[in-house]
Formats: sequence, C-alpha cells, structure tokens
Amino acid sequence: MFILSVLVFVFARIAPGDPLQSFYGDAVESMTTEELDAARARLGLDAPIYVQYIKWLVNACRGDFGLSLKYKQPVLAVVSPLIGNTLLLGGIAYILVFALAVLLAIACALHEDSLLDKFLCKLGTVLYYTPAFWLGVVLVLIFAVNLHVLPSSGAYDVGKQNDVINRLRHMVLPLFVMIASHLWYYAYMIRNKLLDEIRRDYVVLAKAKGLSKRRILYKHCLRNVAPTIVSIMAISIPHVLSGTYIAESVFSYPGIGNLSVESAKYHDYNLLMLLVLITGTLVVLSSIIAQFINEAIDPRMKELEVQQCEQ
Amino acid sequence: MRAVENADFEIVGAGYKVRRPEPRKQTLREKLKGKPVFSLLILAVIVLGCILAPVIANHDPSGFYLDSLNAAPNGEFYFGTDSLGRDIFSMIWYGGQVSIVIGLLSMVMITIIGVTYGCISGYAGARVDLVLMRAAEIGNSIPSILLVLMLVALMGKQNILTLSVIISVTGWFGLARIVRSEVRQIRMSDYVLAARCMGSDFGSLMLHHLIPNFVSAIMFVVISSISSSISMESTLSFLGLGLPVDVISWGSMLSLANKALLLNTWWVIIIPGLFLLVTLLCITNVGNYFRKEINRGPSRL
Repeated sequence: MFILSVLVFVFARIAPGDPLQSFYGDAVESMTTEELDAARARLGLDAPIYVQYIKWLVNACRGDFGLSLKYKQPVLAVVSPLIGNTLLLGGIAYILVFALAVLLAIACALHEDSLLDKFLCKLGTVLYYTPAFWLGVVLVLIFAVNLHVLPSSGAYDVGKQNDVINRLRHMVLPLFVMIASHLWYYAYMIRNKLLDEIRRDYVVLAKAKGLSKRRILYKHCLRNVAPTIVSIMAISIPHVLSGTYIAESVFSYPGIGNLSVESAKYHDYNLLMLLVLITGTLVVLSSIIAQFINEAIDPRMKELEVQQCEQ
Repeated sequence: MRAVENADFEIVGAGYKVRRPEPRKQTLREKLKGKPVFSLLILAVIVLGCILAPVIANHDPSGFYLDSLNAAPNGEFYFGTDSLGRDIFSMIWYGGQVSIVIGLLSMVMITIIGVTYGCISGYAGARVDLVLMRAAEIGNSIPSILLVLMLVALMGKQNILTLSVIISVTGWFGLARIVRSEVRQIRMSDYVLAARCMGSDFGSLMLHHLIPNFVSAIMFVVISSISSSISMESTLSFLGLGLPVDVISWGSMLSLANKALLLNTWWVIIIPGLFLLVTLLCITNVGNYFRKEINRGPSRL
C-alpha cells in the first residue's frame, strides 16, 4: 500500500504537471487520441486517412497544419480570426457561470430545505437537462422572431464590429444558453459542499460566539470551500468552452465551436485536427493550473490526493 | 408419594392468547411513497405510444403532404406539419422509437464497456490500474462533444447503430471510474478470495461476485446514461451530424428547426422538443430514485 501511494503520488506530480513537458508534451498527449482514431480508421480499412495522418503529424511538428479542405486556406489563417470571438463568449460565460453558481449555492445553503431551496433545485435540474440547442432555438423563436428584441445570429451587425453594445446584444442569447446548460451542475456541487461544511464543529463555535448565520457562511464556510471551488473552476475550463460548440452553431456565431461543427460536417480533417489540438492543449493546461492552484492554496491537498488514491 | 395429579394444580392462563396486532397491510399509497410514480407513468405512456406507433399514427410519418405544408395544428394534423409537409403527430411516435432505441442501445454499450473496464482496472494490480485510470481520466477531461465530432467526421454517414456506438464510445469514462472504485473496495473481501480459490476465472468472478455487489451503486449512472444518450443524439442530429432528415427521430425532426424559425412555425420546434424534454426529465427522475441518499444530519448553522 505504501509503495502504491508513493507511485501514485509521483505519477500525479509528473503526469500533468511537469514543466519540461510544456509544449511538446502537450502536443504528444493530445495526439494520442488522434492516434487512437487513426488506428480505428485503419481498422475501418481507410488506409489513405492513416497515411494522411502521418504526414500531418510530421508537418504539424514544423508548425504547418495544412490546408483547410473547405476554405482552401491554411488552417491557421481560418482559425485565428475566430479564436477571439470564442474566447470572448466562453470567457464571459465562464465567469458568469461560476459567479452565479456560488450565489445560488449560498442562497440554497442559507435556506436549506426551504421552499426556495427546493424550487431552485427543481428549476436548476430542469434547465440542466434541457438540451442546449433546443433552448437556444426556443429563445430565438421568442426573442428574435416574435418579439424582435434581440438579434438571432452572428457576432455583430455589418460594419458595427467595434460597437460594444451591438456585440453584447448579440451575445445575450448564446450566453444564456451556455449558462443554463452548465450552471446547475456546478451550483449543485458547491451547494453540497457548503451543506457539508455547515455541519462542521467550528460552526457551532462561531454560533456560540454570536455570529450571524450569514457572517458564518460568508466568512468561514465559504472560505473553507474556496479551494474546492477554484479547483473545480480550473478543471472545467474546457467543459465550459465546449459549451460554445452548441451555442455558436445554434446562433451561427462566428467562432471556433461553429467552425468545428462545420469542419466535422464537411470532413475537413486538417481544420478539425488543429481545433482538437487547441482543445487538447487547453485540457492539459487547465489540469496543470488546477494542480498548481490546489497546492498553492492548500498544501494538505497533496496528502488528501494520496489518501484518495490509497482507498 | 402419590403421583401428581392434574387436580393439584390449577393451570393458569391456558387459554391465554398473546394478542399481537395484526400486521397492517401497507396501502398502495404507502408502497408507492417516494417512488417516481408520476415520472414512470408519463414514461410508460410515451414508450407505449412509440411502440404502438403504427396504431396511433393517423398519417404516414414519411409521407409528404404537399398540399398542406407548414400547416398549424388542426383537426387532421393534430400537431401540424413541417416544412416538408410531414405530419408531426405521426412522426413524434415513430421518431420516439428511434430516439429511445438509441438511448437504450447506448446505455447497454456504455454499461458493458464501463463495467468491464472498471472491473479490470479495479481488480488489476496497482500499475495497470494506474495506467488504465489515467487513460480514463484523460478521456473524461476532454469534452465529449469534441470526441463525438471527431468520430463523426471520421465515420461519415450515420445510422442508428453507428451513432449509438459513437455516443457510447465517448460516454463510458465516468461509469468506469465508479465501477473501479467499487471493485477496489470489495476485491479483497472473503467471498472474492473464496471464489478465486475455487478456481473461478475473471469472467465468472465479475459476473457472479463483483457485479451484483455494485449494481445498486451504478444504477443511477446507468439510467441517466439513457437520457444523456438521447440528448446527445438529438444534439448531433440537430447540428446535421447525426441521423439524416429522412430517418425520423426527435433529433432529426428538430434539425428542421432553423427552417421553422424563418417561417415562424412554432409547432415544429416546440412539440418534438417538449416530448424530448419530458422524456429526459422523467428518465432522470427515475434514475434519481436509485441514487444513494446522503444522510447529512441536522444543520448547525
């Protein structure tokens, strides 16, 4: 058991977190999935794809990701103008999701088992299980087609690229869809953490000291839960960004997500490979960040991890 | 000494009967308490409706009624028609068949892959376990929609089977992790050792000793994998990456939603979507019933 724990510990440190591995390692790690896919394709008797793949691998190492089959342009040139749009949408959604998740969790924990808590839980579950694309379409139907309040698609109207309000108006609906489909998952997790936390012994002490409920929750409980929240936030970067895939394609928002759906539709392998590579890098990066943050905030996390592995 | 006779003693309380209160029969209401009756009922109605689709449907689901394109819900077409002139009421039931079949197929495949992988990983030595779990973790941290997109791009044209394969190949990581941690807990228990001593191989050990012991722990995940598969299918079909429009499923019906937006025909969007949503919620509710209740005790706040 001891050897096992040491092994797991060493691995957990080396695998995602080795600084030497940074760029090259990332590439290798995210390629393994492609290699798997390539192997699958090979089994599916698609020899040309396999040959293409090796070529792509060699070229990619030299920074040449090939031509997009659909756009007849170097893949990098197709992707780079769109990354900003996606990051903007994803970033705002990400911040809002977690801000709202924490707020909701606090509201639920303060009023545990009350009507408010139950209502929020039900509403959250319903929103979470509503297919994101359908929610998007229904929102467009209501707000764009019938009420004419908000635009239905795109990132900005023609010629208004730098108009902040115009851009924001275009982002309202996609943002809502993304938040709705991710919010409850995280809010529920944080809510449960908080509920565990308010059953700790120190809460009794704080109460005996005469602190108010809110004060205990904000000053003490929330602080103790913070490391968990931060590490969840770090791990979930790619997941929230993947929400842009659906939101972007429903609202035809020019971004990476929409682009990857298109490239999958038209079998634009070169484009898709680069997009997968970007996401793969993001996944690895965010897990490295999560590890770093965890250890910086709370050194006990390391021990905890080892314990979990031993179990 | 003379023999003891009955008359010497008075037997007290010979006729006394212990009065036990009749075990009260549980009423139906009590039996059903806490069980997701309502969800099961709705689910039963939807599933039955889909099975009996040929009886219920009053039109040919793939017939084009060109004289009544985009008709609003009326006496003949209960739920209206879509932009191709197909009857939505009939399509709902036929489409439900496909969606539910995909959900069930994917669930079966996810369960088989996840349970086998989890058992192997949980039962194997530390190193193999480590490697296997790392792999599953990496798979889990990549957003599944991305993996699905890649597979779809590689596989080309979809049918029900390939789509469920794609959905399940990308959906088993979470289940494998739960199975693995359950197996880790019971792998050294006496009955497992006994079975091994008696020479049972890994397969029968898994079937007879491991699986029955964690089946309750994975029920929730297994059942909710039906709803997530149905949801994934409809998303893919909506994006134009799943089933083609002529294979009717709830997802492929919704893939006409963009056209419907331009024509402002709400019934094409709302009705299949509501069916989809209600089914998903009911399945989730049923799954929640199997979830382990956490008993937290009273709050100290």
